[in-house]
Amino acid sequence: MSLIALNNIYKIYNVGGEEVRALDGINLKIDENEYLAIMGPSGSGKSTLMNMVGCLDTPSSGVYQFEGEMVQEMDDDQLASIRNRKIGFVFQTFNLLPKATAQQNVEIPLVYGNIRKAERIKMASKALEDVGLKDRMHHKPNELSGGQRQRVAIARALVNNPSIILADEPTGNLDSKSGHEIMGILNQLHQQGNTIILVTHEDDIAQNANRIIRLYDGKITEDLNTKKN
Amino acid sequence: MLLLFENFFISLSAVFANKTRSILTALGIIIGVFSVTMMGTLISGLDKTFESSMSMLGRDILYISRYEWFGDMEWWEVRNRPRMRTEYVQKVKQRSKYALAVAPVMQRGASLSYGEKETRTEIFGTNEDYMKTITANIVEGRFFSQNEDRSGSRVTIIGFGIKEAFFGEKDPIGKYIKIDNEKFRVIGVLEKQGKFLGLFSTDKQAILPIGAYNRVFSKRGWMRLSVKIPEQKIEEGLDEIYSVMRHIRGLKPNQKNDFAINQTKAFEKNYNMLKIAIGGTGTFITLLSLIVGGIGVMNIMFVSVKERTREIGVRKAIGATKGMILGQFLMEAISICLIAGLLGLMISYVFSILLNQVFPSTLDMRLAGFSIFISILVGVISGIIPSYRAANLDPIDALRYE
Repeated sequence: MSLIALNNIYKIYNVGGEEVRALDGINLKIDENEYLAIMGPSGSGKSTLMNMVGCLDTPSSGVYQFEGEMVQEMDDDQLASIRNRKIGFVFQTFNLLPKATAQQNVEIPLVYGNIRKAERIKMASKALEDVGLKDRMHHKPNELSGGQRQRVAIARALVNNPSIILADEPTGNLDSKSGHEIMGILNQLHQQGNTIILVTHEDDIAQNANRIIRLYDGKITEDLNTKKN
Repeated sequence: MLLLFENFFISLSAVFANKTRSILTALGIIIGVFSVTMMGTLISGLDKTFESSMSMLGRDILYISRYEWFGDMEWWEVRNRPRMRTEYVQKVKQRSKYALAVAPVMQRGASLSYGEKETRTEIFGTNEDYMKTITANIVEGRFFSQNEDRSGSRVTIIGFGIKEAFFGEKDPIGKYIKIDNEKFRVIGVLEKQGKFLGLFSTDKQAILPIGAYNRVFSKRGWMRLSVKIPEQKIEEGLDEIYSVMRHIRGLKPNQKNDFAINQTKAFEKNYNMLKIAIGGTGTFITLLSLIVGGIGVMNIMFVSVKERTREIGVRKAIGATKGMILGQFLMEAISICLIAGLLGLMISYVFSILLNQVFPSTLDMRLAGFSIFISILVGVISGIIPSYRAANLDPIDALRYE
């Protein structure tokens, strides 16, 4: 069974009386430990697809199964719970809480997962260690470089041992050196057995993945397996 | 439960992150809680003053005079009423079966002196029954006797304040003081009582036998009769004294009373009306300031939600449910109000200590608890709509918010 199975997914918005098909009949299966890049020009529906996969959004029609669970039937709280337990988000703009330290930022998913303070500190420290920020745990975001902030964000995505990591343009706000570092960490996470979905419009970033999907006008136009060796 | 604490800490850090804004917002609530507690403190202080003053009067005493204490009669009607007379004492005693004691009381201002020391005070002329109609006791010496009254003996019982001013620690009994230049021998001292309704000190007075009073200070002047009635028979006693007085005055059945019988009840009734007036006005002002304060908090919460739209989006993406976001912002509103409430309470506490120097006021623990409850309530009411809005933000829109 696939980790993620999208079956004939439509997402239709009504903009000023006109029907906009952001997702127009998407069929997609993602297996465990895949490293997938979603590409496409702006307006192609890649953000909508990512929100859909990340359980932030529900389809207008179609069937979305996440580890066999029917996502399209879930209410808001169930969606929140599945995001908390199964999905780790990495955003282009990091989206850390500015007044909290790196460690506190990483703890947030655990707070919502109702995990005790002592346990939380242990897990957060471990996640920060994994992304190479052991000595920066008590720094606030404005005391960290862009690359370091994104690593904190990755640690936050990792801390709950999610089924997939969803990275939306993770290097978009970084210089090329930091971008390489971040991609290095994602590659490493993939090698450790994580499932990673990358949304990007940069070809060389997408080349890190083993499978590339191209979207255009809400449809998948290409599904390329680039599995190395 | 765990989440409640987490939310509390999250909201506390949000409150402290915007100190100036939080304090300004809290000001309305601070003022509201301050006025709640001060109002309560004031009323309970008034109650205490009133209680102790009323205990000086005694609830089983009827006061017969020309005037109603709290009457709404026109002054010219009252002026034409006949005056009270000393003879009424005997007549009331003979005719009433309820009267346990009847004392005439005449009163005027006079100057008292002992050696170099001099003071102006009120003097009372009365009979030997007087002690039964007041609640204070003699602490030194004795009261005068019926014989001393009838023979016009120049003896006096002084208030505790006079004793302290004139004699200090020395024994005043047997000493002569001058009342408007007439010599009187001190035979007793009244116990210390304090001020009546905070108006005048009952410790600064001198009591004279009415015989001597009439001879020295003339028979004319204002007079009342104090009649003691058994405490369980006040209604019957009152009816009876009315008919006795009507009989003494020779009034026909169709004629109106030309005298008044007052009771401490009249004070109580008027006091309660005053209390309702103060309480009502106070409650209104308090409610108004709490509403204004609550609107301030609501406003700032809307700002806070708007400012942190992105944070809300992130939290939702990470797995916060609607309830958790609602709780977080509600807790923030409550925290502001709770801190404001505690500050208001502290200010009230300091104020009540200062005020206690001149007026009995102590901050009641129940009142303190109530004001904290009110602050929390204001927090919930003013926080609920902004928090609900935050909780129902769409995570995708919130994440995109710039």
